[in-house]
Amino acid sequence: MVAEPTRPTGPTGQTDEMEETGHGARGRYLYAVCRGLDIKELGGLLGIGEVLVEGVEHDDLVGLVSSVDLDEFGEEGLRRNLERLDWLEMAARGHDAVVQAAAAVAPTAPMRLATIFRNDDGVRHRLAEQQDRIAEVLDRVEGHDEWSVKVLTRQDAESEKPAEAPPSSGVEYLRRRQEVQRAREGDRRDADLVAEQLHEALLGIAAASRRLPPQDPRLTGHTGTMVLNVAYLVPQDRSEAFTAAIGEFTQRHAEVLIDARGPWPPYSFATLEDQ
Amino acid sequence: MSEDPLTRLTTLPHRLETDPETVQRDLMRLVLTIVELVRQLMEKQALRRLDTGDLTDEQVEALGTGLMHLANAMRELRERFGLSQEDLNLDLGPLGSLLGD
Amino acid sequence: MTATGVAATVERRPSRNRDGQQIALVDLLDRLLGTGVVLSGDILISLAGVDLVEVRLRALIRTVREDQERP
Repeated sequence: MVAEPTRPTGPTGQTDEMEETGHGARGRYLYAVCRGLDIKELGGLLGIGEVLVEGVEHDDLVGLVSSVDLDEFGEEGLRRNLERLDWLEMAARGHDAVVQAAAAVAPTAPMRLATIFRNDDGVRHRLAEQQDRIAEVLDRVEGHDEWSVKVLTRQDAESEKPAEAPPSSGVEYLRRRQEVQRAREGDRRDADLVAEQLHEALLGIAAASRRLPPQDPRLTGHTGTMVLNVAYLVPQDRSEAFTAAIGEFTQRHAEVLIDARGPWPPYSFATLEDQ
Repeated sequence: MSEDPLTRLTTLPHRLETDPETVQRDLMRLVLTIVELVRQLMEKQALRRLDTGDLTDEQVEALGTGLMHLANAMRELRERFGLSQEDLNLDLGPLGSLLGD
Repeated sequence: MTATGVAATVERRPSRNRDGQQIALVDLLDRLLGTGVVLSGDILISLAGVDLVEVRLRALIRTVREDQERP
């Protein structure tokens, strides 16, 4: 399974600031940038590989970093590792743990996975260079959470469908298959309608939204079709109204599956893209 | 590894590690996935032709019977190798989205 | 299909709550990776640790329209 990182031509690592200097070379993994964070508030937080998370400061910004092995996180290493689901899980969970801890105490702009610098000077340089952009992002997400809302059609797994008497002719077989297909298409159209109405309603409460591609059911374990996958940036003082709106829609539309989760750190609204 | 649905993919490996004992089952799964894909495409196309209404009654009956037998044969083969419908969702790249649609 | 109570419809949980609930890995990877998780269609078959066959499942399967049917 191939996982594609941000830049199509290479991993997300900052390769121009990094050289493969041989085995044992270390780099600095940047998890996120926070504003006004005192690193002591994180209380000895450990990042990927159970290594201590440290802070690189510039003005009121703090880049959260930990040391990583360039064999694993350098360009070659990432190319190998980004294809391994077990490695991805380890890295993503480690990354998320740091982001979550930081977001709980300060406005936080997460980096994408595997943003690597040669050393702290490189990190500081990035903070200085991008200071205005980072400030914009932090202003946007401060006091907000991300919520994920998905809408799916309801569909039983094949194995759960009730057994029927076998069709009595070829024509009947085809008619049944046609019926199944039409029912599915109808469900899909109905779900699309509900999804758009829900989205409209939530847009009235959220500060921002970002539509994400529907997820492959093989990855999520859902059996129905995903017709909506949206990330919402919701002010914390509106989260009650937000969840209430979803609850109301869920009650009115039991024919679709509404999967809403949160609150999460604002991953979809604060991730600092590479320029 | 966690219980996350995504990690089920570790049982559908990018690399099919086969030892002599499991060769038959692993390869069968690959084969059946492809056959199932083609079967579903055939069925979809047959239904489209049914809609356009340009088939004779005999053709419709023959198509329906043939597809019904194919579906039964697939179910038997799956059962023989202990595979569920969901097991046959090996990732097939751009073709994969057609399965279970 | 059962109707659930209003309170149960939204999973309100910070990333790691008391029950150890987390952001689903697929959701996390979609956000942490530029283009999320993509499944490739290539399968490498190996026997006894030896890579033998690479299957590239990108063959184009084309459905036959009525005007293309052979007489």
